[in-house]
Amino acid sequence: MTMTASRKAGLTSERRSGRPGRLRRPAGLPWILPAMIVSVGLLYYCIVYTGYISTLDWDGASPLQRPVGADNFARMLGDTVFWRALGNTAAFFVVTLVVQVALGILLACLLHSRLYLKTFHKVLIFVPVVLATATTAPVFREMYAPDGTVNGVLHAVGLGDLAQPWLANGTSALIIVMSVQIWQSTGVVFVLYYAAIGQIDTEVLEAARLDGAANWRIIRSIVWPGVRGTTIAIAILTAIGSLKTFDIPFLVTGGGPSYATEFLGTMIYRVSITFSQAGYGAAISVVLLLLAVGTAIIIRVSSTRKENTDV
Amino acid sequence: MKFPAIRLRRTAVAAVAGAAILAVTLTGCGAGQAASNDGGSATKGTINWWSWTPTNDVAAGEIAAFNKEYPNIKVIYKKVPIENYAASLKPALASNDGPDVYTVYNSGAYSAEVFAPYATDLTSNVKKMLGSDWKSKVYDGGVKAFTVDGRLVAAQYAKAGAGMMWINQGLFDKYNLKPPTTLDEWVNVCKTFRANGLGCFREGVASSGFATDTLHSIVDSFKPGVWADVVSGKSKWSNPTVAESLEMLRTLSKDGILDEGAVGLQQYPDVNNDFLVGKVPMIQMGTWYQQNASLPTLTAALEGAGVPADTPKITLMPMPFPDVAGKGNPATLFADVDAGNSVNAKSKKLNAATTFAVWLGHSKAGQQAVTNSLDSLATLNGITPQWDKIQLVNPELQRPALEKVTADLNTATESRAFGISAEVSQAIIDACQAMLTSDKSGADVAKDIQAAAETAKK
Repeated sequence: MTMTASRKAGLTSERRSGRPGRLRRPAGLPWILPAMIVSVGLLYYCIVYTGYISTLDWDGASPLQRPVGADNFARMLGDTVFWRALGNTAAFFVVTLVVQVALGILLACLLHSRLYLKTFHKVLIFVPVVLATATTAPVFREMYAPDGTVNGVLHAVGLGDLAQPWLANGTSALIIVMSVQIWQSTGVVFVLYYAAIGQIDTEVLEAARLDGAANWRIIRSIVWPGVRGTTIAIAILTAIGSLKTFDIPFLVTGGGPSYATEFLGTMIYRVSITFSQAGYGAAISVVLLLLAVGTAIIIRVSSTRKENTDV
Repeated sequence: MKFPAIRLRRTAVAAVAGAAILAVTLTGCGAGQAASNDGGSATKGTINWWSWTPTNDVAAGEIAAFNKEYPNIKVIYKKVPIENYAASLKPALASNDGPDVYTVYNSGAYSAEVFAPYATDLTSNVKKMLGSDWKSKVYDGGVKAFTVDGRLVAAQYAKAGAGMMWINQGLFDKYNLKPPTTLDEWVNVCKTFRANGLGCFREGVASSGFATDTLHSIVDSFKPGVWADVVSGKSKWSNPTVAESLEMLRTLSKDGILDEGAVGLQQYPDVNNDFLVGKVPMIQMGTWYQQNASLPTLTAALEGAGVPADTPKITLMPMPFPDVAGKGNPATLFADVDAGNSVNAKSKKLNAATTFAVWLGHSKAGQQAVTNSLDSLATLNGITPQWDKIQLVNPELQRPALEKVTADLNTATESRAFGISAEVSQAIIDACQAMLTSDKSGADVAKDIQAAAETAKK
């Protein structure tokens, strides 16, 4: 009876699909189709429209639009601020990734060990994630102002010689922007690692302990390889996040001094809004998109190759 | 049980329906078609006014004055931070729900020219109020800045000047100091202030163009007229006077006049707050800053700065920019139309919006309200602040000084910002930052400004 029914169902399915042996269509398609068309359609419409604008000389408001072909892209190649923004993005990506991963994995390991007030510590680590940059940026500006908290503390502990206008120095301003990002995002990295470490077989960890492995050896040889997939995901998210960085430099340093904290996001805003060069801004946006997609693919492909080599 | 089986035809119908929804959505979002309307009543309705200036309390005073004549027009004021103004205004005006009235500036990112496509022509309305010779009754700089392709796209209502400095008179008195008039005097005054744990001349060179005013003042100290020539294109930014003025900016920093960390500071809120609470004795701001001589405005500003209510109220006084070049050239003031109100051509309350915009800028009562706030000077000729009605912090000292500023400004011949594009404005900020953070020579930095100006022209 069952066999007959399933054969009938199979036949029906084959007839409907028109191709023998083909699987049924997913059942939820009609439900998600309208939303998918609107969301994907809007997204790709915006991308295509941005691509179109990137070929124009247009102020973003005027009815006059002059087609200029690839001129905006050619201009980008000779724009020193663009290359500086790209360099800042690369440095920002490397530093924030390394520090966040190190802090995230360390905190996750600590909170998987015996510790008092675990929940309190978890909340403490995660709180910066939920704070809006617009709220915290003035605090950082006050902290690093010439007569702000940091210099006040340095004077108070007898290290007044180290006091300086932190946001007026290009290097220290970039480090401050990075530190704000790390402070704000480590909570997410910690949560991801905390969950990933929870998936590692405890018997393996116990066996390592019985074999006399110390904490550092366990982290290096068991935990680190065990959370490899999470690290790759964090690397991709950090790379894309670095390319999209806008709010922290915009609100804390304004991209300065002398473009020392300029990123592609702040540059797009300045070019498109302040200078009313919507075409050039769109061209930088297109490059940003290509870089984000390209970086994600490169990280993913290289990690897959590494996995295959390891196997 | 039929549900999971999908017919291709049904999918196609769903896809077409979805595409139709998308098309309607996109058309609705992007079209920006003007809704057909007659503009409504000219004396009744609720209108929205967006601007970066004036402050909320000043705007409330101006609206209250307007409502004495037009009680049935409710004006809702939205103050948008200046850094985000252009970014907020563009999408709002592109939609059908933008502000009815929006303020524009004489140049740069939120100039009348940039937003002219969205504005209605106010020429006939202004003519109706002031007569056919209306141009002779208002500030000609405003007419020039707000006329785009023969259309008056904004009703000017506020004029501002710059070039002077503002000092905290209490701090000067406390240390028995006189306002400096030369570079050497300035150095000595700053030494005294610093020895007493205070800053001296503080300026935010991080973003907006206040450093441009300082550079302009220095150029005028070396050779009056060069700045105007450079802006008009008669001379180049690589002019030797500009180069030596840039070097002077570096000298101000090296000689301990300009406070450390200027390139990391913003004029608002950093420098403004530090001055109002008495941390620094001198800053360079324009005529709009005289509003802080008014006790109610200063009280509100201190509240905004987040300091205790019992913080002593400073007596701020104007001071001419010192003769830093030592050539004996008198300090100059430069003036511009600071703000004008455009009326959104798509406004459903176009007539009420026009009533407000034209009233504020071209009626005696409107202009009196504007100038009595001390935030701006009137653009309608013959209107000056009614000092008897203004509560100053220190009237005996401040009133004659502020009256002189108003009088001096009427003789100003140079523009403050008109004619300077957003790109050149940015290049000047970059140049000032470069002088304060690098070893580049003034000549090389001046060439960079010229290069930016030439790129912008293309």
